[in-house]
Amino acid sequence: MELQINNLSKTYSNGVQALKDVNLTIPTGLYGLLGPNGAGKSTLMRILATLQEPDSGTISLGDIDVLKQKNEVRKTLGYLPQEFGVYPKSRAEDLLNHFAILKGIADRRARKEVVEALLKQTNLWDKRRQKLGGYSGGMKQRFGVAVALLGNPKVMIVDEPTAGLDPAERVRFLNLLSELGENSVVILSTHIVEDVSELCTRMAIIDQGQILIEAEPIKAIEGLKGKIWRKIIDKTVLPVVEREHKVISTKLLSGRTVVHIYSTENPGNGFEVVEPDLEDVYFKTMAGQPETPTVL
Amino acid sequence: MKCREILRFEIRYLLRHFSTWLLFLVFLVFGFIILRLVTLTDGTNYNAPGTIAFFTIFANFIWVVIGGGIAGEAATRDFQINMHPLSFTAPVSKRSYLGGRFLAALILNLMILFFLYLGFLISLYGPGFNPEFRSPFRFASYLTNFAYLAVPTVVATTSIQFTFAALSRRPIAGYLASIAIIIFSQFGGTTVLYALDWKVTGGLMDLLGTSIAADMEGWSPIEKNTRLIRLEGLWFWNRLLWFAIAVGVLALTYFKFNMRHVTQNSGWNLFRRRSAEKLSKGKTSSETAVEKHRIFQSITVPKFPRNFRFATYVRQVLALAHTSFLVVAGSRAGLTIVAILAIGTGLFATEYMQFFGVPLYARTEEVLRILTPALGTYKTHWIIIPLLIIFYASELIWREREAGINELYDTVPVPEAVAFLGKFLGMAMVIAFWMSFLMIAGIINQLIMGYYNFEILVYVKALFGFQFTNYLLFALLILVIHVLVNQKYLGLMVALGAYGFILFTPTLGIEHKMLIYASDTGWSYSDMSGFDPFLKPWLWFKFYWASWSFLLAVIAMLFWVRSRESEFGARIYQARHRLGNYKPALIIALILVLLSGGFVFYNTNIRNEYLQKSDYMETRVEYERHYSKYKSAVQPEMAVTKLHVEIYPEENSAEIHATYHLVNRSNVSIDSLHFTTIPRQEIENVSFDRQASPVVIDDKLGYRIYFLEEPLNPGDSILMKFLVNIRQHGFSNDGVDLSVIGNGSHIKRGDWMPTIGFDDDRRLYEERDREKFGLPVRPIRPSLYDVEARYDDRHAQQINFEAVIGTAKDQIAVAPGALQREWTKGDRRYFHYATNAPIHNDYAIFSAQYAVREAEWVPEPGENFAEIFADSIQPSNRTSKPVKIQVFYHPEHDENIDRMLKSAKVSMEYYSKEFGPYPYSHFRVLERPGPGRGMHAEPMTIDYASGYSLMNPQPDGLDLPYHIMSHEVAHQWWGFYLSPATVEGSGVLVESLATYSAMQVVEEALGYEHLMRYLSQMRQEYEVPRSQAAPPLLRANNSFLNYRKGPFAFYVLRNYIGKDRVNDALRQLLKEKPSEPPLPTTLDLYRELQAVTPDTLQYLVKDLFAENTFWELKTDVATTKKLETGMWQVTLEVKARKIAVDSMGIETEVPMKDWIEIGVYAPREKDKSSGKEIYLKKHRINSGKKRFIINVSEEPNNAGIDPNHLLIDLNLQNNTRKVKIDGVKEEEEEKGIL
Repeated sequence: MELQINNLSKTYSNGVQALKDVNLTIPTGLYGLLGPNGAGKSTLMRILATLQEPDSGTISLGDIDVLKQKNEVRKTLGYLPQEFGVYPKSRAEDLLNHFAILKGIADRRARKEVVEALLKQTNLWDKRRQKLGGYSGGMKQRFGVAVALLGNPKVMIVDEPTAGLDPAERVRFLNLLSELGENSVVILSTHIVEDVSELCTRMAIIDQGQILIEAEPIKAIEGLKGKIWRKIIDKTVLPVVEREHKVISTKLLSGRTVVHIYSTENPGNGFEVVEPDLEDVYFKTMAGQPETPTVL
Repeated sequence: MKCREILRFEIRYLLRHFSTWLLFLVFLVFGFIILRLVTLTDGTNYNAPGTIAFFTIFANFIWVVIGGGIAGEAATRDFQINMHPLSFTAPVSKRSYLGGRFLAALILNLMILFFLYLGFLISLYGPGFNPEFRSPFRFASYLTNFAYLAVPTVVATTSIQFTFAALSRRPIAGYLASIAIIIFSQFGGTTVLYALDWKVTGGLMDLLGTSIAADMEGWSPIEKNTRLIRLEGLWFWNRLLWFAIAVGVLALTYFKFNMRHVTQNSGWNLFRRRSAEKLSKGKTSSETAVEKHRIFQSITVPKFPRNFRFATYVRQVLALAHTSFLVVAGSRAGLTIVAILAIGTGLFATEYMQFFGVPLYARTEEVLRILTPALGTYKTHWIIIPLLIIFYASELIWREREAGINELYDTVPVPEAVAFLGKFLGMAMVIAFWMSFLMIAGIINQLIMGYYNFEILVYVKALFGFQFTNYLLFALLILVIHVLVNQKYLGLMVALGAYGFILFTPTLGIEHKMLIYASDTGWSYSDMSGFDPFLKPWLWFKFYWASWSFLLAVIAMLFWVRSRESEFGARIYQARHRLGNYKPALIIALILVLLSGGFVFYNTNIRNEYLQKSDYMETRVEYERHYSKYKSAVQPEMAVTKLHVEIYPEENSAEIHATYHLVNRSNVSIDSLHFTTIPRQEIENVSFDRQASPVVIDDKLGYRIYFLEEPLNPGDSILMKFLVNIRQHGFSNDGVDLSVIGNGSHIKRGDWMPTIGFDDDRRLYEERDREKFGLPVRPIRPSLYDVEARYDDRHAQQINFEAVIGTAKDQIAVAPGALQREWTKGDRRYFHYATNAPIHNDYAIFSAQYAVREAEWVPEPGENFAEIFADSIQPSNRTSKPVKIQVFYHPEHDENIDRMLKSAKVSMEYYSKEFGPYPYSHFRVLERPGPGRGMHAEPMTIDYASGYSLMNPQPDGLDLPYHIMSHEVAHQWWGFYLSPATVEGSGVLVESLATYSAMQVVEEALGYEHLMRYLSQMRQEYEVPRSQAAPPLLRANNSFLNYRKGPFAFYVLRNYIGKDRVNDALRQLLKEKPSEPPLPTTLDLYRELQAVTPDTLQYLVKDLFAENTFWELKTDVATTKKLETGMWQVTLEVKARKIAVDSMGIETEVPMKDWIEIGVYAPREKDKSSGKEIYLKKHRINSGKKRFIINVSEEPNNAGIDPNHLLIDLNLQNNTRKVKIDGVKEEEEEKGIL
């Protein structure tokens, strides 16, 4: 199963061009979609989740035309929106059971087992009789995950899921996703580089509606090996450094500024070479450094 | 000033809303249209304060129903857009925040009503308005109404809406507040005011001013044109109370409103304690910390294959229906409002299950009338059901999106059809519950009324068959509207608009039932005929509308919003995409609409002519235009009518083979015969016994002229034979004709049979209608002084009648006359009737599965009136043969039969003794299906609708059926023996005299006490607000004068001059004015009454009959002291005034020198309705004050002037008062302020 996105464009009625001629091929596995806020991630995710219409382009999932056979897509889809509400007066167990029916698990016994397993998996089992109105943000998020996981989706779309989770929850959730990625397409959109670097087998960076780079994280990092240089400087000299070098990121460290620059040769000047990480890939991509092979 | 800033911002925000402007527009247009649509008939001006008041109240009502959004929005917007964390943390005080928001809503709501007035003004002064109907501009007319009616209503309503919304944090609560106000103030207020008769409480509950509108019914046109609404009396306290309520609820909002974050959407729990939930919430946050290490456990979720078979979709629909049902059922108003209303309707059964104070048998037929209003009527409290449907449909459609869970729902593999059907089915389940509540209401009603024959099957058919279908169709339409409009509040307004359209189509002039959603040709259930006659057209119309709703549902599925894309273009795009899947359904729906529509149209417009109200009027107009020139053409008179009628109840058809025997009683030769036939009803096989050729055959307008080769000479006669076919051609837009039905056929002469000559009664009566069609204006009724009209005696002519009637074997057919023979032929039963004395040319033929009960009355020979009638025209008919009294009734409706027989017998006995003999050998009373409670008299025959038989008089209560029966028997004398000229006042000679005669029978047979009971019940109608403007009785022109004022006048006269003298006058009238032209009028009656009245009381006859007189009688002071002799000396100070009011309402004071009773009464003993009379004497009383000193032998309790309420006085309560004992201080000098 492979998700194929071709020439996808979308412009909102207020003139914002959310997607510009996006082409992606997303295989089975955990796929990270990285980009700053407002890059077009959610638009792309919602189009994949049958909630929005692109202006042009095609999407196919195996034999299914995602844009035309929406109901076929929904039969294998798990979707966790960036933001969602719940019925405050419903109980988790009841609502999950309700969604199980809607997702096509018609058999009562099967549904009972699935609901129980999912509630345990998301650790909501003890809270299953509690009204959703009393759930914390994280619990609500986990409930959403349970809904998305119902029915073993072949395509799982999770839009910025880690925003509301604390670090521990985040890690476990990502593990869960990567497990799921063993035989499903799992697309994870995020603006947090770590989300992608840890588990994603492939990733794309999107900004202003355009895919800047599509790569395997490891290969992308390897491609920068020996090209990222670091120096701790005083804030006042930053403009000078920026003029002389291709600065991709600056960071504060104990009151001083750490500058990362991109350079194929040793820039001297006290810069030391560092082991690149995905953050450097991201910042380098975002900084708009022309890089000949976009796909590594 | 933060408050001002919030106010400014809020108003600007609301003004940017489309819906705000829509509301402005709606009221502007309403104000404009309403003044152009209505017709004010009584001479009231369109800009009269009364008119403005009435429409202000009307518009207030509409505003309360649809205007809940503004206050709701203003109170809750921050929660809706989740901005409250920002605005609550801003340095704004609660007072400014709430104050600004509230004022903004208030100002906008006032602006809405301001637009209403703008609409009024544009309508009044815009082009096309006839300035004749407008009086000079008077600012106070608008200002007083706006200030006293509109503003307080808006203030109170906005406050309540704002409170509901602010405390529940949901804008929709504004609408709920509206519904609550309508239920409390309108339904509650009206019930309390009129049903329970608690005037003060009811008047205070009335927020909108409907009680003022009701009072205005009693204003004369002059009052309506000039009188301004003032803040006085009860109305002042009403406004004050509602203002206090407004302040109160606002204070509640202020104290209850929390400017803090609330995690749980608390929905309805306005006043619920939340401690339990707070506890559990606290626990949650502390526990999550502990649990963190355990989340997302690696548990293998079992993998079950999903399947998407039909059964799965069914399961999904059921799941969605179940949740949708729970949404409604779980909300506070969902099931409870209807349940409470149903239980109330049941428990208060005794309040409305009565007719003039007589309880009714709670047969299912009767109870269903209260439970099954048509969808298109608003005169029922069950209007709450459509309103709740509108409200909950929007809640269901918007539920996911309001909870923010829509994206989870939208991505599940549920087809749009399943989603839509799920919600529809949920709504259907709710409605089914409501229907069962209605059924319970009916059963409680029957239990309360002591009726235990529960016809559950009939309930099920009526409620779950007929009503459920209507509400389902309606619910589907509303769901579709909400889906298509896709904006909650706009959707609500469109839905209310659609409902308004269904309610007010008759006013809008749309009559074709194929254009009014979910409409039908009507139905009712009766014990006699069941649902049958109405079933077929009903089913077809419902099939037609169900097809439409199927089509609408498919359209809703196509446009079902399932994504962020809600712009029009995107929805079209999606609909086109979905079209593939829905094409078969769409095509089937279209085919069904076309098929059913085609069939219905074929019936309503092709097999039957489609006729609007205006078409019927036009037929009459054209008839008058074309043929009134023959009005005075000399025509033969009908002498004999012979019919052979074959009735086929099962086929709803009948054939009438008729033979008319016509005689030229004039002194000229007649060369052409004129007939008025029933428009659009062909008469077939016309033949004459001499050569006649048709000259005019106009079946459309209903006129025929035949030319006689050989003229009909004076004294000659001619036989005419023809056939009338009563046949149903499917059904028309008006339904089916009910003349021949399965059980309870009733074929009236006037509905089917041709008459001789031009029929002047077919003309349009209303002045405005005549003007509209360009016909010369003529009075509705000819003037009393129109001498020529006294010679029009066609209605008084008499015929001999004979009929052979065949009907189904299990039915009895009845026509006037003595039964000559009865036989059976095959599966048909035949009856042959012939009259043994002539009857008026007014008869009907009945056929039903009757039960019959008989009695015989033998007149005593040698009555004193014999010589009176010695010289009258038909002495031979007035013999002393026994009369057979028969009642033909539906076997189950047998409760009143003995009473009817008894009343008929006693009445005949009394009338024949007092007024003259009864001419026929039979007297028949027949039941027919229908809700009416009255009877209808024809010569020797009386028919009554089943509603009459459902009266259940109590031993100590009023025996109304007895009285009605007696009244109808009296028509054999007043109406048939004496046929007055059809001029003003004829109703006094027919109805007033029949009622007065019946009063004598009631007194004779049931006792004086019973007569008093009857009078006090009848007098209640005087208390209903009514304009004093009226013509005098001699020129009576309406039913109030004929049925109430007239009989009272005779009763008063009888109290002054004696019963015998009055009856002498009536006998004299009968003797002098038999049924030959010139026909008698009230002037003849007046003369006879004057003749028997002594000179000193002549003024009274004049006041009662020749003037429209009102007395204002009052006792100011009543004191007493015990004299040394042991007697009690009573001192009375009375005030008297007499006025004459003309038909425009202009009052003239008339100097008094009248004889009026002064009475003193002892305290009321237990189980007596009134105190013993210890003094009663007529005194001469002049206008102004007068003092009386009366000595009585017993201790008096109360005393006063005209204690028996003989004279017409609108305020009866102040005639007498409690007698105060001198020297004892009265504690309650003036009772309360209210």
